[in-house]
Amino acid sequence: MKKRNLIFLVLAFIFVFTLSGTGVWAADDAIVIGVISPNTGALAAYGIGISTGADLAVEEINAAGGILGRQVELIHTDDQSDPTECLNAFNSLVAKGVQLIVGSATSGCTSAITDAANEEEVCILSPTATADSLTTEDDYIFRACYADSFQGAIAAAYAKQAGFERVGVVYCAADVYSKGLFDSFSKACAAYGIEVAAEQSTASLDVQDYTNQFNAMVNAGVDFVYAPYYYDVVGPYVVPQARAAGYLGIIMGADGYDTTPDYVVAGADLTAFNDVYWTNHYDPSDTSEIVSSFVKAYEEKYGSIPSAFGATGYDCVYMYKAAIEAAGAVDAEAVRDALADTSAVYECVTGTFSLDESGTPMKGAAIISFSSDGQSVSAKLVDVVSQLP
Amino acid sequence: MNLKKTSNGYLLNTVVIVLLFTAFQILTKVKGSDGSFKLVLVPSLWQCCYLMVLACSLNLVLGFMGQLSLGHCGFMAVGAYTAALLSLACERSGFFTGKSDPMFLLVMIASFLAAGTLSALLSLLVGIPALRLKGDYLAIITLGFGMIIVNIINNLPFCGQDGLALGSAAASLYKNGLGFGSKAKVQFLWFALIVTILSLTLMFMFVRSKYGRAIRAIRDDEIAASASGVNVAGFKVLTFAYSGFFAGIAGALYACTNATLSTSSFAFTNGGILNSTFVVVMVVLGGMGSLTGSAVAAAIMFFVNYQIKNGTWVDLLPSSVKGIFEYPMLVYALVLIVVILFRPKGIFGSYEFSLQNLIPDLRRAAAQRKAARQERKEARANG
Repeated sequence: MKKRNLIFLVLAFIFVFTLSGTGVWAADDAIVIGVISPNTGALAAYGIGISTGADLAVEEINAAGGILGRQVELIHTDDQSDPTECLNAFNSLVAKGVQLIVGSATSGCTSAITDAANEEEVCILSPTATADSLTTEDDYIFRACYADSFQGAIAAAYAKQAGFERVGVVYCAADVYSKGLFDSFSKACAAYGIEVAAEQSTASLDVQDYTNQFNAMVNAGVDFVYAPYYYDVVGPYVVPQARAAGYLGIIMGADGYDTTPDYVVAGADLTAFNDVYWTNHYDPSDTSEIVSSFVKAYEEKYGSIPSAFGATGYDCVYMYKAAIEAAGAVDAEAVRDALADTSAVYECVTGTFSLDESGTPMKGAAIISFSSDGQSVSAKLVDVVSQLP
Repeated sequence: MNLKKTSNGYLLNTVVIVLLFTAFQILTKVKGSDGSFKLVLVPSLWQCCYLMVLACSLNLVLGFMGQLSLGHCGFMAVGAYTAALLSLACERSGFFTGKSDPMFLLVMIASFLAAGTLSALLSLLVGIPALRLKGDYLAIITLGFGMIIVNIINNLPFCGQDGLALGSAAASLYKNGLGFGSKAKVQFLWFALIVTILSLTLMFMFVRSKYGRAIRAIRDDEIAASASGVNVAGFKVLTFAYSGFFAGIAGALYACTNATLSTSSFAFTNGGILNSTFVVVMVVLGGMGSLTGSAVAAAIMFFVNYQIKNGTWVDLLPSSVKGIFEYPMLVYALVLIVVILFRPKGIFGSYEFSLQNLIPDLRRAAAQRKAARQERKEARANG
């Protein structure tokens, strides 16, 4: 009997908390920014990067006196990289009165909330959703990263610069991110006179076997393969299986390759990761003042070098800060107008840039390569491309 | 006498449903533009609707027929994409413009029916070879089907994410097709509720009919059933197709709710609560062989999942407890373990909640509990 009473008591508490919950979380005059990121699930590394980066930015801003004299507060929500959960998280944030949102990490999730944001008139500033179509309309959607049409073209430009005339592509036709990068890459290849000699597609982004695809690459005799995937398959499957299939040329990827070294299989032959290149939002070893101070502060607080997701999450908060200060107000409409101003210049960790009409930054990309001595995989900067040739 | 009782039961249920429904419509009118009503309650109801229909439709196969289907979300995916594409096609051909167009209602009904029909046809295709065999072949075949269908959809040029998106990655469903934004969700809530009630009623009537008795006989003893003249294979395929139909309807509801379709939501497992594994979990949690149990379990699973991620009370918990909540799968596992410990047959077992029998049922349960307590007391006094 006692046990049952206890259960009822707990349930009653939960119920009361649920009902009385709205409105208890924020200090009265704090500026509240919502963060939607995949903190658990397959792409958790992205979510953790974004939320820690945003936390760091808020801490710095609050220590320096806040925005317009008001403190900033973040509400973190988790979308598990699932569109349904992303929409739920968005709705719950808006129901709490949040008007400014940072999120989400992937293009697939962000596309689930763009129209809802326009309808509810809430600002969305995505740290890393790169699909072209996200910001096509004049609306409440902005981002802190370049779009795929630029990212894919950079990879093609790199191939041309390195002297490759025949290339291959392994991609996932079903995913907005992978397909978008494939489209822009092959379009740029056509423009640069590079022949795409082999095209292989996988059924989904989380396939675990790429042997057939890379066998086809070997048969086609290409030495440069563009393979836009996320880190969760690149580390354990794509690269090792490509090498095992006898493909020894260059594997080129995009920003999804970030944090790959943390996800390589222990005991695998790490030299496979030599000759792997990828385009990224920033380079942590950059010696400029803003990057080095960010990397130092992040390392002190979290004990690791920030990924590009940490950097763009950090940038998003500072972009909101700049926009709020320019607008002199914190409501979504004023901030939207400030962000839509294409002449505003943002000095961020991932570059100094302004947004174009669609709300996408015009900035360069870093080309980074992995190298390995067999013990560990490390990343090093190859080149920074700010303009397409 | 019995017949009269049955029809009285239907009458009572209809009256209560109509009353509740009217009350809800009034509530919608009054609170329609209220923030948390529009953004929290209504989307939650939409999600509960499709989860309930889905869980109940699986229960027909798993609970009443005793066959395990591990690819139920595959049928849901078929329904979702059928409804989405049909509505998009209608919009593009100029059949209706905007959601206030009276033709839209017609299109919506047509897409729901098409979604159900196509799923039912596919489940016939899957069921005919699988269900003629004895044993667990259905589990294996549906497991494969769930994966195959997801890959097929992904790679069809007109319905992968790319095809639906045409122009804008925020799937154009939202503006042009079935997809509902928050205002439209409030406006069309009645539709979701009616579809759900209708689906549950049809499934309930099926279970109570001679077909329902036949499949329960098959579940309990296939040989005895066929010896009594039940066409075992025929009934199995029929039930599977019937279940597939409602999975398709659930898919259409899903398309309305989300406005973006992504095949990862229909996989065998994924991070969320909508996948083939979790539907099985819902059925087991609610009680195999109880449709009301499945509906309740679906609502509970949704509520737990939603609260873990978005509940404001989570922030008030001590950080050690909050640490567990960072891994939602752990919480579901704990909930399941607790339920299975205390109610090994699921929350409802094979009991069907019924308004008509509620009072006698409660009285009987109370009497049983009292007797059990008395017995224990006596045992203690004696021992």
